[in-house]
Amino acid sequence: MNLLLPVVLLWPLLVMLYGGLRLALVKQEGRNSRSRLELLGVGWWSAPLPALLLALWPGELSVSMPGWMLGGLWQLDEARRPWLLFGALLWLLAGWYARGYLADERRQAGEGDANALGRLMGFTLLWPLTLAGNLLLILAEDIPSFYLGFVTMTLAAYGLVIHRRDREAKLGGLAYIVLALIGEGMILAGLLWSAGSAEALTLTELRVAIGDAERGVWMATLLWLGFGVKAGVIGLHVWLPLAHPVAPTPASAVLSGVMVKGGVLGWLSTLPLGSGEAGLARLGEVIIVAGLVGAFGAALLGVIQRHPKAVLAYSSVSQLGMLASLVGVGLAAPDAWPALLAPVTLFAGHHGMTKGALFFGVGISEHPPRLPAWLIVTLLALPALSLGGALTSGLIAKGFIKEALKESEYSSLVSWLSVAAVGSTLLVARALWRQWRRRGEPGTPLRSPMCLAWLFAVLAAAAVPLWLPLGESVHWPTLSDLPGLLWPAALGLGLSGLALLAAKLGEGEWKLSSHLPPGDLWWGYAALARRMRSGLVTAGGMLESRGLQLRARLVAREHRAIARLDGLARYERRFSRLAVPLMIGLALLLLLGFWLG
Amino acid sequence: MSQGWLPVLTLATSLLVAPLIFALPERAWRARAVVNLSAAVLKILLVALLVLGFYQGRDFVFGFTVVEGASFLLQVDALGLMFAGLSSLLWLATTIYAIGYLEDSPNRKRFFGFFSLCVASTAGIALAGNLFTFLLFYELLTLSTYPLVVHRGHAKALAAGKVYLRYTVTGGLVLLLGVVALYALVGDVAFGQRERLADLGPDAYPLLTVLFLVLLVGLGVKAALVPLHGWLPRAMVAPAPVSALLHAVAVVKAGAFGIVRLVYDVYGISLVHELGLLTLLAAIASVTILFGSIRALSQQELKPRLAYSTISQVSYIVLGISLFGPFGTIAGLVHLMHQGLMKVTLFYCAGNYAEELGIHRIDELDGAGRRMPLTSLAFTVGALGMIGLPPVAGFISKWYLGIGAVQADMSWAIAVLAASSLLNAAYFLPIVHRLWFRQGPAHGRGRWPEERHLGRFETSTWLLLPTAATALFSILVGLLAGVPFSPLDLATFMATVEYLP
Repeated sequence: MNLLLPVVLLWPLLVMLYGGLRLALVKQEGRNSRSRLELLGVGWWSAPLPALLLALWPGELSVSMPGWMLGGLWQLDEARRPWLLFGALLWLLAGWYARGYLADERRQAGEGDANALGRLMGFTLLWPLTLAGNLLLILAEDIPSFYLGFVTMTLAAYGLVIHRRDREAKLGGLAYIVLALIGEGMILAGLLWSAGSAEALTLTELRVAIGDAERGVWMATLLWLGFGVKAGVIGLHVWLPLAHPVAPTPASAVLSGVMVKGGVLGWLSTLPLGSGEAGLARLGEVIIVAGLVGAFGAALLGVIQRHPKAVLAYSSVSQLGMLASLVGVGLAAPDAWPALLAPVTLFAGHHGMTKGALFFGVGISEHPPRLPAWLIVTLLALPALSLGGALTSGLIAKGFIKEALKESEYSSLVSWLSVAAVGSTLLVARALWRQWRRRGEPGTPLRSPMCLAWLFAVLAAAAVPLWLPLGESVHWPTLSDLPGLLWPAALGLGLSGLALLAAKLGEGEWKLSSHLPPGDLWWGYAALARRMRSGLVTAGGMLESRGLQLRARLVAREHRAIARLDGLARYERRFSRLAVPLMIGLALLLLLGFWLG
Repeated sequence: MSQGWLPVLTLATSLLVAPLIFALPERAWRARAVVNLSAAVLKILLVALLVLGFYQGRDFVFGFTVVEGASFLLQVDALGLMFAGLSSLLWLATTIYAIGYLEDSPNRKRFFGFFSLCVASTAGIALAGNLFTFLLFYELLTLSTYPLVVHRGHAKALAAGKVYLRYTVTGGLVLLLGVVALYALVGDVAFGQRERLADLGPDAYPLLTVLFLVLLVGLGVKAALVPLHGWLPRAMVAPAPVSALLHAVAVVKAGAFGIVRLVYDVYGISLVHELGLLTLLAAIASVTILFGSIRALSQQELKPRLAYSTISQVSYIVLGISLFGPFGTIAGLVHLMHQGLMKVTLFYCAGNYAEELGIHRIDELDGAGRRMPLTSLAFTVGALGMIGLPPVAGFISKWYLGIGAVQADMSWAIAVLAASSLLNAAYFLPIVHRLWFRQGPAHGRGRWPEERHLGRFETSTWLLLPTAATALFSILVGLLAGVPFSPLDLATFMATVEYLP
């Protein structure tokens, strides 16, 4: 059954190919056949199905292909299974959701709107490609395949981010692609450096190589920052709040739910967690601190945002910061890592599914289904509270982490994470509030794909600890743990209640938000880049003019030399005139000589 | 077992086609096409025979003495075969392309005649067995390319041709001096007899260093090493198939190939390492890589941008061979093939845009992906490969370069690679973005500069087929790098021979 592995990756590509061919044929046949074209059909939606099947397949699988790049090795083992399962599930739900979300555009395209058709074509083709990259990234064990998956996912997702093609979408896309490429550069450098030091070709060998290498800490730093662009390390996170609001909601959901987890998975796959050397412990501490700074900073920046998706994006940065600090523990205190791996995976799965459900909820609140308002609010609030750590999967994940950290030297991290959870609660409360303010008229039928996908995602997100195959039993919090786990959420809710009250009594919206657009540091980076660019242009111009001067001088010299050569011709004429007298003179001289001799 | 006739025949296929083409009348384009294509196919078959024989361990040597002390020698080794294979494959593709490209334009006879001569010279360079023979074909290449560069005959083309001749002829002169000095020192050295120079002992090292630098300067002109690169961006006025061939396999690659020969087969990598010249070579290559990329950023037209990109990419080869160790060697050699495939694709695409839509500037490319999807797809593949992203061939080169750099204790080269990747992304991805995500004439905004409908598909089939084929090859040699007879396999074979006595 090892063949299932390639099928998982080939199926989305085939779906893409089929879609492309259909579109090309329709284009050939002309306009009237366009109405027959079913974009985002069931075939398209089925792209992640084999992956889901594989994730549920019992036993470990692996397939090795010596001819593939530098030797391909794809695996499904117990460490990869949970990532594959929640990833494939969220992709499947998001695809279903997209069928409803893009219904308007599908209709417009069917009616012959070329722009809508163009945008949908991009979406239809790039969605499965991004998916294929994401799946390869999870399943690959050899480094080239892993990098191929990561790159494919990153680049193809650009097309999803700029789906709307307006100015904001272009800005979001620019921030996304520029940072992604910078990250890509760091990843490439880190991978080459570490793989070169031990001729490693698989990720397992790579982790060992970094642990053993003399300058392993720098390799690990490069990889941490490179994957950190995806995983929203503070300072590199600026693309998230810019790209999420502009992307279509299903794309935001997979972006925040699964794709940013690609960065975390990159850390888990490349950093020597649990076997760190003394030099790496320092890096681990840096990662922990950066993670916590991100968790708090993003919460502060996020609560003053207006767009619910921007708030959710900051919430992702905050949550990823928490996740990063846990990964940092794996370097700083290697002994604690084996116990921490399962909680980290659960936390990632919980955040992925819950954030997916929350993003779906943004679209739902814009087009609410025909349900009682209290039910919709409850269903929207359920994943929100879960993300704050008050209910269901969030509560369990937090308890699990607390339990795992209790024994280690970083038990104080728990309190920090609890404080950060206050921020998380505030963020989701803010997001819900903004959604409420922007709510639309109920009208979507309950059985529409959008609504069903959302309902299913909410349920699946709540039940993550029940179905995520972690390989070990989840530690369920006992009743006595509850007060210690629930106070951050309660505090957060209290604070948001106060803020709401203040807003009602005062001016309404905070003034501050007009001063801090989403993307915070991005604007600083952009200004810096502009200044550097103008400096470079000036320097380039100066060099150019120097070069021109030099060239002009050389040309002038050449002209002079040629003129001198031309001058020789003049002498020649003189010679020809002199020739006859010379000969006669010579002859006379000879005659004289003979006569005298 | 010695079979000398096979390399001679390989050389003769393209060399003898030239007079045949000159003999055909200008109107007889069908006959010319048949002659051209059949010669190209025949040559591929012959090279395939050579490869097969080589893998079976046969020796192919042909030689005679021209004057005392200097002999004409053709021999076959892995490196030469790689170059010959590349040249014959791309000759076929480019011939097909050129037939489509030059349809209804004047002076086709002259073009194809010199084109064959140019390809014959590259085959000669590939199969040359000593410096004398190499120099012979190297100069023939210089001269036979000139009529192609100035083919259009307008003032700008003539000026570019003048600059081209100035650079290459002086370079050739310097090379000649170096070769003569080397002959004076040790006599006729066949490629591969590395011990002859190494045996001279440490007393000769200063002299050998100077000679190496002289030869490097001579070869560096064609390889477009900074600051000897000035002719290349100007030679862009040539017709697209010429540019494609010039950048992918003929002139620029001949220079790079010459440097590879110089380092591995004349001096021997250990001797160059002992002389301490590898660091110098790596430094020159790094400067060229970064300089070319930065200059490419500021180009507003498609072909000059590609030209500066070539300057940068060809130096990857030089960087690869300057990294002491098998991985560096593999990287340099494999990039010789990979860069050829990818760059030829990009130039075909540039030609397609120019022919079909009259596009020369980058900002005119908005939305061209809808009008010409296959060409744009091929361009995207080439661009991603140039950046060094998998699964395109460029990734394999970059991977081996990086590992080679670590093993040669030159980890700083990784920083150069990463910076160059980012710069490549910075000047290629905006084009890709324009192609696919911007709205242009294909969406009803504005008009193409000069639209023609050359064929049933997005453009003439003659133009489309080679483009698609080379793009496909660029992906396949990257994706299936591990299968036998792939460029990587050949390069690995070659590197093992080099490092394991």
